[in-house]
Amino acid sequence: MKARGLRAYAIGYLIFLYAPIVLLPIFAFNDSRIIAFPLSGFTTNWFTEMWADRQLWQALRNSLVISGSTAVIATVLGVFGARASTRYSFPGKGGLVGLIMLPLVLPEMIVAMSLLVVLLAISVPLSIFTVILGHVLITTPFAVAILSSAFQSLDKSLEEAAYDLGEGPVSTFRLIILPLVAPGIISSLLICFTISLDEFIIAYFLAGADTVLSSYIYGQFRFPAKVPAMLALGTILVLVSVILLSIAEFFRRRGIAKTGGKDTGGFL
Amino acid sequence: MSSAKPVPPNSTMIEFRDVHKYYGDYHALRGISGTIRAGEFFSLLGPSGCGKTTLLRTIAGFEGIDGGAVLIDGKDMARVAANKRPTNMVFQSYAIFPHMSVGENVGFGLRRDPRSAAEKARAVEDALEMVGLKGYGARAAHALSGGQRQRVALARALILKPKVLLLDEPLSALDKKMREHMQVELIKLQRQVGITFVLVTHDQEEALVMSDRIAVMFEGEIAQLADPETLYRRPNSKKVADFIGTMNFIPAVVIGETGGQIEVEAKGLGRALLDADQCPAGQGDSPMVGLRPETLTLMYPGQTTTERTVDGVIDEVIYFGDMTYYDVYLGGTDVEVRLSMRNTPGRPILEVGSKVDVAWSASALVLFR
Repeated sequence: MKARGLRAYAIGYLIFLYAPIVLLPIFAFNDSRIIAFPLSGFTTNWFTEMWADRQLWQALRNSLVISGSTAVIATVLGVFGARASTRYSFPGKGGLVGLIMLPLVLPEMIVAMSLLVVLLAISVPLSIFTVILGHVLITTPFAVAILSSAFQSLDKSLEEAAYDLGEGPVSTFRLIILPLVAPGIISSLLICFTISLDEFIIAYFLAGADTVLSSYIYGQFRFPAKVPAMLALGTILVLVSVILLSIAEFFRRRGIAKTGGKDTGGFL
Repeated sequence: MSSAKPVPPNSTMIEFRDVHKYYGDYHALRGISGTIRAGEFFSLLGPSGCGKTTLLRTIAGFEGIDGGAVLIDGKDMARVAANKRPTNMVFQSYAIFPHMSVGENVGFGLRRDPRSAAEKARAVEDALEMVGLKGYGARAAHALSGGQRQRVALARALILKPKVLLLDEPLSALDKKMREHMQVELIKLQRQVGITFVLVTHDQEEALVMSDRIAVMFEGEIAQLADPETLYRRPNSKKVADFIGTMNFIPAVVIGETGGQIEVEAKGLGRALLDADQCPAGQGDSPMVGLRPETLTLMYPGQTTTERTVDGVIDEVIYFGDMTYYDVYLGGTDVEVRLSMRNTPGRPILEVGSKVDVAWSASALVLFR
């Protein structure tokens, strides 16, 4: 009895979690502007309509610039942070690492508001660059977390061996450390990219006159006629997200296998 | 690979001059002095935390020193970084680069070598052949067994023809059989290449088997530096005697000195005259004589000996197959000694409680006082 109850709970939970996402592609291909059952036939019109939306393309371009820059900056910062936190010990290290990781649990609302206040106070014009700033702040902890596990599984004597065999610190980093943490770097890039692309609050607060994908979609929902096209866009985004996260997880696991480490669980 | 130049016997390769090392408040190396000779197999032996690995790493250049000097081949290493020193190291974890093939690992140190690619490839093949891994060059490094990884680490370090090869507990990760096999191989390899080997180990048997000379370390100091036989037969302190092999310690009283010899009265054994080399400098403890178990013999009925004998009662028998350990009370006193006896055909195992004569000789005694 107990097992059956738990099973029903688990199934109910999964339906609650994923049914809305499954509805996305269903209505994206449904030949009606009204989002309701019964379905009224198959169409790809919404995808065509979405494709022709020039404002959407501009928002997408903005979002890609933001996400790409965020991923690269956060990952570079993450490499420094992870390297420092796994290899060196210095006074106040615990507190410092804690402060780096804090945005992970800080409500985005607060980050967005305080950044907005500061930027307005020092009169920095709002644009996609200010969004990048905010996104780097919230994605860097993810980068540090992912890269720390990559750096942690590195045996310190590998570096010493390279040094012992005549290499300097720079060539050791290039020849030994970088190739061994490369899977972690790729995984960090992909996850930061995905987080930034999805993000709404900071993008909405800090983008100013520029529109990014998430706030553009939100805006379009005010016009019922535009909703099916947004569902079509959503369908594509879900697909792209799943692919990106799968690639990230693949590289994370391969990295652990390569260095002979133990899998202590990642994001997926 | 016999590039090592013939070296004059007993010339110094490494010299420690009052080396000190601190980790914060912890005094890890407390004034290490001593020399390692060119071409010898030298071991740093001691329990964990005695500073032996730290000392090895000061030779490699991975640890700086806070006092004194480390000289390699007559040159002070104070301003020489690890990647410029004429030493190479075999790490405890072997530190095989997991993203490279066996050949790439072995050839890693040749990256800055001006020789042609073909010559380097030949050098790699030669190095692999030397460690018994001929033809393994293309294999993935992470797919090797423990013993094979160790050989790759050896080949990778030796391909640079260093003046000194440093080995940080290289055998501790192997199982017993493999370990004994690799001990013999390492000795052969060292004789073949003629390079100075410095081995760190906590295994006294391994050190005795492999080394020309051994430095026994405790708490950041060298307690004794000697060849294996001297260390075993004439340890200079109770601590060294206790760490290397098994030693019976028997309370004793110094009676007096006559003509360079020292007369002692050992409990349960009686009086004995000891030569000066049997009496290392005093430690201030209450005097004890030390006696290795295998220098004692149990006398079977009808057996005779020219050695002195003393009455004993067998208190405990532990059977090992090739050996039997007996705990024996000597002379009816409370002195217990542990003997190890080879089991030979026709000699039954003696029973607990039986009385036996124990033969001993004064020349096997060491006095600690």
